[in-house]
This record gives sequence, structure tokens and C-alpha cells, in this order.
Amino acid sequence: MALTHKQSRRLNGFIFVLPWLIGFFLFFLIPIVNTFIFSFNIVGVADQGGRTLEFIGVKNYVDLFRVELASDNQTQIYRMFYEEFTRIVVNTPLIVIFSLFAAILLNMQFKGRDVVRVIFFLPIVLGLDVVLNLMLMSTGATYMDAQAQSGAFLQADLVERVLLSSGLPTGFVGFLSDSVGRVFELVAKSGVQILTYLAGLQSIDKSLYEVADIEGANRYETFWKITLPMVSPVMMFVTIYTLVDMFLASSLTNEIYTFTILENKIGIGSALSVVYLVFVLLIVGIVSLLFSRVVYKNV
Amino acid sequence: MFDLDSSPYKYNIRPKTESLSYKNLRLYILQQRVFSIVSKIVLFVLVFGLSFVILYPFLKLLPLVFNNLEDVGTPDVIWIPRRFSVQSFRVAAHLLFNADNLVMVKSLLYALSIAAIQTAVSAMAGYSLARVDFKGRQLVFALVILTFVIPPQATLISQYLRFKDFDVFGIMKLIYGRSVDLINKPISLYLLAAFGFGLKQSLFVFIFRQFFYGMPTELEEAALIDGCGFYGTFFRVMLPNAVPAIMTVLIFAFVWNYGDNYYVNYFHPDGPYLSIMLDRTFQETQFDFVKSLSWNRFDILTFNTFTFDAIKQAALIIYLIPLLILYFVVQRRFVETFERSGIVG
Repeated sequence: MALTHKQSRRLNGFIFVLPWLIGFFLFFLIPIVNTFIFSFNIVGVADQGGRTLEFIGVKNYVDLFRVELASDNQTQIYRMFYEEFTRIVVNTPLIVIFSLFAAILLNMQFKGRDVVRVIFFLPIVLGLDVVLNLMLMSTGATYMDAQAQSGAFLQADLVERVLLSSGLPTGFVGFLSDSVGRVFELVAKSGVQILTYLAGLQSIDKSLYEVADIEGANRYETFWKITLPMVSPVMMFVTIYTLVDMFLASSLTNEIYTFTILENKIGIGSALSVVYLVFVLLIVGIVSLLFSRVVYKNV
Repeated sequence: MFDLDSSPYKYNIRPKTESLSYKNLRLYILQQRVFSIVSKIVLFVLVFGLSFVILYPFLKLLPLVFNNLEDVGTPDVIWIPRRFSVQSFRVAAHLLFNADNLVMVKSLLYALSIAAIQTAVSAMAGYSLARVDFKGRQLVFALVILTFVIPPQATLISQYLRFKDFDVFGIMKLIYGRSVDLINKPISLYLLAAFGFGLKQSLFVFIFRQFFYGMPTELEEAALIDGCGFYGTFFRVMLPNAVPAIMTVLIFAFVWNYGDNYYVNYFHPDGPYLSIMLDRTFQETQFDFVKSLSWNRFDILTFNTFTFDAIKQAALIIYLIPLLILYFVVQRRFVETFERSGIVG
């Protein structure tokens, strides 16, 4: 049977995605369905090496939130979700805005820009979790660092007091000084984001800026009326990427591991996975819904 | 004709045309100059400050690791070592390479081969998703995005159990008579990568899809007219033009897999991977082990938490050397490559 050109193209195209599709079923869909099933059962090991399931309804979920505690600091699980949520709500906008800011800086013309670019993109290589864990969680150096930085801390404290006495709300000042204190952590997480923004900035049509210049717009107006709308699709990508990155490094995922592999409570671990999955999808869904309303669409 | 009064810009234009006297012009030029100087200073402070913030943790490491190990932690040695020494590197190298000399080569090779597999599979899937109009293409692309968003940990449990007794459609049972245990075998990692579910692989598929989507259709049409088949078009026309995307994905996949301790830790925990070795060797529970080692083998008599840190950071630097070399080789073309890789598309 001879295929037409179109048919053979479709067939070959399908063959090209086939590995991914097989992977999707083997390593994604079936695992998710299984996790869902496990979460309603007590999972045990059968004598012949398989698994036994004993249906117990939603008991795993109830236990997860009522009985179980986190392994490391003995907090309740819903508390961990709450902390995770605040961490994401605080950090994501900080990273998204900071990396846009850094990208705009890097996109300007100044002497030594190449050197600065080399430095700014270092976090792509050095922002790996392994590196950060080893570098930041040092045992003795924290003490030495605290000594060396105590001068800097004093100054930061001074600024904080000035801000406080200027009548700004306490929560806001606390948030500001807290984010400044974590600036390295934020920078280390934003390598890919800066790169993406920079690529986005450079793909904006130069003639738009020329027109704005001729019409007498200042830099401030240019930023809000040209740069931001043009870069907003990239911003959506960056936001979702940042969110996903945060979920990857979540402390909740350690709990899944502890429940399942160390404590052998597969049912509870699965229940946690399912709740976590819903949690992630909800947050990403809300964020992309919000974004799709404001993103500039290049039609 | 064009009515100035109804133009939205009238307020911008009017004052300017009125103020073009000589005195005002001088004032204007002065203003511009002051503004440019101030903005240069602000820019410099920002750029310098941020660069410092990024570099500070690494600069801080240098005096620590090059210090004589007996001087670490003394409050009067902060930036300049009193006695220069590479002792910490010797201890770190011993800790990392004693059990297996080739552990670094092995983990580099592992990262490279996984990266190559990931790139190949993602490029194929991405091309097909961008250019071939097969049934359900939109659905598959939506699934790619879905798998990108969902953290792999959510599927971890049953992936783990799947590999624990691995069987596809009863094939394994047919050959071996039972399912096989693939946990702690490297094949499970390669299987994940080959079927599109390695580390961040959905992102790679997405990058390739965006890149091929932005390529002109004329290329393919010309290839067709010149008698290229589907595979000829892909391998001889599309791939050579996709070098930026390939490089981007290859570099990211390599760096992330080299630094990965998640997949490796679950599916092949006993394997020769530098990332998990670092993690394990320098747990705080290992303190006494490292202490006795440096006492017995390297005659380091004073050993405190600072010494432990110095050795740990030296190991970290050893681990980072290949990445830094790669980074300085490719960074010049990084932005350009990334810009053309279509992620912004």
C-alpha cells in the first residue's frame, strides 16, 4: 500500500513523538494513576514479590493531616503547605522582578559589559542545589561570616530603623530588609531567568524605541509602554519557570521520600503526592490565568 | 489635514517649541549632562553592587581553602592566609577519589551521555510537534506543558515501584520469567531519558518545539522539491539549522545532570556520581570520620568545624572545575545562542 506524501509525513512525525508518548504513559500517566490508587489503600508487599492493596477510603488523607508529622522538625503537614505557599508567594515575584531588572541592566551599553555578563550568568552554573547546599550551609564559616558581617548588619539595621520611623508599615519594612538579606539566594536562583529576559529584550524591535524617542517619551514611559508589554510573554514564561523551579526544591518532596522509602508508608506518601499535585496545579493554574489576561499578544 | 490640537502629543510638543531660546538651550544641555553623569553613577553602583553580591560567597571561599588548615578559624585571618597551603585540596581529593579514581570522569561521562540522549529525543519530539500535522498534536503539546509543570516528585513513588519490578506489557516475564529489579542500576536513568522523562526534559521538548516552530517553512519546501524525504529533511536540513537550540539544550542538560542529586539518588544511589558523593561525604555526621582521616593521613592536629568547612569547600571547588571551564568556553556565545533558541518566541 503506497502512502501519499502527507500520510507518510504524518506517520513519520508520529514515530518521532512516539518515544515521548511511550514515556508519557509509562513514566507519567500510569504512575500518576497508580499514586492516586495507592493513596486510597494500605500498600503492602505480597509474598510473591508483588504488592497487596487494602482499600481504606480516605483514611490516608485524614491521617496525613491529623496524625503524621514532618520528619525533620515535627511540624504538621498542613503547616508545611502553608509555609511552602508563603515562600512561593514571596520569592516568585522577587525573582521575576529582580531578574527583569538585572536583564535590563545587562542590556544597557557600558564599558566592561562583557565581564559583568560573565559574572551575572555564573549562577546558571553555580546555582545548582548541590553547590548552594554545600556553600551556604557551612558549619563554622557562618560564625566567622557573622563576625565579618556584623558591621554590615548594623548598617542594615540602621536603614531599617530609619524606614520604620519614616512611617512605613512594619510588615513592609521587615519584608524589605528580609529580601535584602536573602539577596544571594535570590540571585543564585535567577540565572536562567535573566538569560531568558535578556534574549527577550534583544528581540524587541528597535524601531519602537526610535519612535518613542521621536515622540518625546522619557525612559520611564518607554519602559512601561514598550519594554514591559513587549517582554510580558517572556515574563509569563519566566514566572511559570520560577514556580516550577521552586516546587522542585520544596521541602515537601523530602517528606514524600521519607514516608515512602524510609518509613514504608506508601499509602500516606501517595496521599501527600496527590495533595501536592493538586496544590501545584492550582497555583500554576491561577498564575497563568492571571497572566493570560494581561499578556501582550502579538497578533 | 493633520490637526495639531487634536493630537494626543500636543502637550509634549508645544512647550518644547516655545522654549528654544539660547538660554534655555544651555540649561537644557546642562540638565542633560548632569542627568547622564548621575545615571552613569547609579548604573555603576548597581552593577558593581550586584556583581559583588554574586561573587562574594566565592571570594569568601578562597582564603578559607588556601589557608593553612591550622590557621582556619583564627579571628585575625580573614582575607589573606598567613601561610599559603593546598592541604585542604589534598584531603578533599583523597575523600572524593580514594574509593574510585575515575569518579569524576565517570560522572562527567554520565552527564554527557544523558544530555546527548535527552537532546536527541527532545529534538525529534519538538520537531514533530512544531511541524508535522499529525492527529492529536495539540493534545500532545498540551501534555508536554502539563508534564513540565508537575514536579516529578509527585510521580516518584510509583515510578520507583515500577522500576522495582519492571515489566512492559509482559515482555520481561516472557524473557526472564519474572519482572526485573532496575533500582540501583544505571539503565533506569537511561530509560527515563530515552523516553522523554529525564531531568527537566519537558522543558527541552518545549524549547525545540518553539525553535522549529519559528523556522521558515520555505526550508522544508525546498528540501521536498529537491527530493529529501522526511528523515533527510530532518537530519540534513533542519538539524544543521538548529545548532543554537541544540547547543542550549545540550549545555543545560549537561550542567543540570552533572549537578543532579535527585534522580541519581533514587534510581542509582550507589553509582559513581560526584554530586551525591559530595552530599554524603560532607554530612555533619561525617565530621568525626573526616577528622580522624586528616589526623591519621595528613597530620592535621587541630581539627575544628572551620577545618571541616575548608575541606568541604575545597571539594566543592574540585567538583566545579569542569563546569567553570565549560562555562568560560561557551559563555561568549551564550546569550546569542539562547536568543536564537526560540524560547522567547
